[in-house]
Amino acid sequence: MIAGFSTTSGRFDWTGFIFAILLAIVIAVPLLVVFTWAFTEVWRYPSVIPQKFGLRFWDQTLSRADVWEALSISLRLSATVTFLSALICLPAAYAFARMKFPGRDLFFLSFLASHAFPKFGLLVAIASIFLQLNLIATFWGVVLIQLVGTLMLMIWIPVAAFQAVDRRMEEAARDVGAGPLRVFWSITLPQAFPTIFAAVLLTFVSTFYETEGAWLIGAPQIRTMPVLMINFINNQVVIQYGAVLSVILWVPSFIALMFARRVIGTGAFAKGFGA
Amino acid sequence: MGRGLKGLLLIAIPVFLVGWLIIYPIFAAILSTLFFDGPEGLRFSTASYQFFISDPYSRANLALTLWTTGMCAVLLLIVGLPIALYLRFSTNRFADLVQSLAIFPMFVPSIILSYALIRTIGPNGTVDILLNAVGLPKIKSPYLTPWGPVIGLVWDHLPLTVLMLTAGLGSISNSAIEAARDVGAGPLRVFWHIILPRMGNSILVTVSFTILGIFSAFTLPYVLGPASPEMMGPFMLRTFNALYDPLNAKTQAVISFAFCLFFGIFYVWSIARNQKGQSR
Amino acid sequence: MNRREFLAAGSAIAAASALPSFALADDKTITVFSSSDNNIIDFWNNTVIPAFTKANPGLKVKLASGGDENGVRAIADRALAALKSKTDPQVDAFENFDARLPAGAAEAGLWVSFSAENIPNYGRINPQAQNLKQELPYRGSQVLLAYDKTKLDPKDAPKTWEQLVAWIKKNPGQFIYNRPDKGGSGGNFVRRAIHEVNGRDPSKFTISNYSADFAEKSLMPAWAALKDLAPFLYEKGAYTSGNTQSIQLLSQGVVTMVPVWSDQVLQAISQGVLPETTGLVQLTDLALCGGFARMTVFSNGANKDAALKLGNFLLTTEMQSAIITQIGGFPGVSWDHISTDLREKYKDVVPNSIPTFPGGDWNSAINDGWYRNVATGLARG
Repeated sequence: MIAGFSTTSGRFDWTGFIFAILLAIVIAVPLLVVFTWAFTEVWRYPSVIPQKFGLRFWDQTLSRADVWEALSISLRLSATVTFLSALICLPAAYAFARMKFPGRDLFFLSFLASHAFPKFGLLVAIASIFLQLNLIATFWGVVLIQLVGTLMLMIWIPVAAFQAVDRRMEEAARDVGAGPLRVFWSITLPQAFPTIFAAVLLTFVSTFYETEGAWLIGAPQIRTMPVLMINFINNQVVIQYGAVLSVILWVPSFIALMFARRVIGTGAFAKGFGA
Repeated sequence: MGRGLKGLLLIAIPVFLVGWLIIYPIFAAILSTLFFDGPEGLRFSTASYQFFISDPYSRANLALTLWTTGMCAVLLLIVGLPIALYLRFSTNRFADLVQSLAIFPMFVPSIILSYALIRTIGPNGTVDILLNAVGLPKIKSPYLTPWGPVIGLVWDHLPLTVLMLTAGLGSISNSAIEAARDVGAGPLRVFWHIILPRMGNSILVTVSFTILGIFSAFTLPYVLGPASPEMMGPFMLRTFNALYDPLNAKTQAVISFAFCLFFGIFYVWSIARNQKGQSR
Repeated sequence: MNRREFLAAGSAIAAASALPSFALADDKTITVFSSSDNNIIDFWNNTVIPAFTKANPGLKVKLASGGDENGVRAIADRALAALKSKTDPQVDAFENFDARLPAGAAEAGLWVSFSAENIPNYGRINPQAQNLKQELPYRGSQVLLAYDKTKLDPKDAPKTWEQLVAWIKKNPGQFIYNRPDKGGSGGNFVRRAIHEVNGRDPSKFTISNYSADFAEKSLMPAWAALKDLAPFLYEKGAYTSGNTQSIQLLSQGVVTMVPVWSDQVLQAISQGVLPETTGLVQLTDLALCGGFARMTVFSNGANKDAALKLGNFLLTTEMQSAIITQIGGFPGVSWDHISTDLREKYKDVVPNSIPTFPGGDWNSAINDGWYRNVATGLARG
């Protein structure tokens, strides 16, 4: 392992230790509070631990058939949207990063609009488009509206990734006779991969937790997990339902994260070519 | 030119989608704040914009939104950069832990987060409970003050910041850093002269995403923030739902949009400048 | 370029997947959206829907919970777009909605106007509950003051507005109410203040006597009174963002007293969110205002007639009695249409009358005026 600022693998990693402690306090304490609430029936100030633990809310949540159905719909939706988004956005991102064509900056800027204009002002117009196409309350209608929501993330982040790729290395490869596709496949893509992977991960997760579009277009036939959660959480005096659902979703998330770390973090891919 | 056409073809589907489902409705919304059906046909009026500008209450809300957005962006960079640098240059199990922790807020929906924060740093929350248990005075809770949303939004956006900065750092080759260190540059100089210039785009992308996400945030400012002044997100929806006033609500939306657009143009401009620098 | 292909493929898939919903429409399923709390959803699922389907074989009801008001409002926006394009909005009725939203919808004819012609039981509705003819008030609830008995002896609990104000000022930081547009408990507390400065006479305000002048004259003193109260509230004038958040502050022991909805606070006590030591008190000089849940029916819904039948069914004696016995609610019909036995039996829980405040233009005047005059200029530290 090549050492940057940090300690070599032999010494105790104090920097990491301090970061871990600080983050544990800042990030984990609120999470721990949610976690504790999920198993709590009564918890009032000033008791340090809840007065009464219990699984009452787990029973009530898990016994509902719609929870499992919603989870399956959500997973299918997020996977479909992420796949389609990558399929149409990554080539576009490459074009934005590397090619010159008329209106490039303007088109690039147009994706910003999907995040910058508050949705409530667009609801009527979007709904009428979907109504005419008979997409209301269908799976593919929700896919389409969520797909639009992912465009900016899936284009802007990969553009930054493609631009950060060292052009001299590509040129060097071309000099020794590699074709454009080969250069892309073995030089450009591996270097940009960690960033693109980060974008894909963000897209998947943000699609999973997207509620507005899923509700507006999907209701009442398509009920995703967050739409269901919103019903559980909003205006409820009992916050345990929301806590239970969050905790259920955390276990797979955490496992996914540990794997993601291998790809994004140190960028083993990138370094294979960069160092 | 063939290459230009190829570029246009590659971007066609996403551009079409965004134009059809976003840009066109936005134009319709903007036009509806400027043109009205009158007795003698279409009439142009900027009255709702003039009202916004002349209304001290609306201006205070805008100022609070700008303050919150700026504060969050600065805090996120201050917190996110060191974490990203650490993650880029180490591979032991602490790094795994740090990254998982830093990314985890992504899996906490805002509404759950706001309850968690009320229960944690809110009045008589967990922090107070712990302080109370060891006999210390309670904290001054940020709940229902402008700092409430700032804390919530920084927490919520930390994963995005860390992920994007780390990914940006990943594309800086070790050889460049090694070379600089060989000629005797210290960590700060390496950071300033080698790393920072190369991750300019990542920082810009990160900041633009953050600003967009925060500017029209709704749930966290609404639940954690003060009643007044309020951020643009809750303000717009309140005007729309509680005051039955879509015209002024859309005007507020257009004004927020204009600010976001300004950041966006700045970003695109710096990318373009960056490219010219690269192609030399 | 495959833009056209993409579109064609997209609509083909869409048409295929739209089939199941057509099939659903055939069995005459009334789709109702609700933004109400779980206790109301349960009441519908366990009581209203079984009784209705028994009385009307062949009709089914699908109740979808929309979470919060923004959720159902989005569906109303969608239905308005459907009205303009003459397509199926995939919704027939809302369980509880403000027919003034979305702005312009009522004028465009999105909502069915109720009358004795389409709702035979229309004449039974309590005249005090009526606002717009596009709304069918079918259940009401009252706002009470909930307090912590361990900090305030029930015999010292304020019984009049004056005593309440005196108590708030004597115990600074122990009272909070939510922003008036974000939940009826705070909203009706604010309306009680308006009643107070206008001679405690609810009949002074009607939906039709709104004028900017009258509003200015009657509301300004109320804003002054509430602003005068602000320094003695929690954090010297903080306001929670909803009914639920107020209850949470009470349950955490941060404040001693908050205004609450009767049904919500009863649910909170039974679920253990609030301790058994929670006291409830109503002002006796003039009660805090109550509110009514108002059903709305879409004029362009595929099952409009069936939805109107459902609306009529809600006003029957059977359902109105269930509202009293099962959710401790206040009936939407006049008491003449409820059995006297029931009325006697529940008189401690359900008052004979609850004062109301008209909606309409008053809503926006109160919501906007409060933000501009009461919530601003707080001392923040």
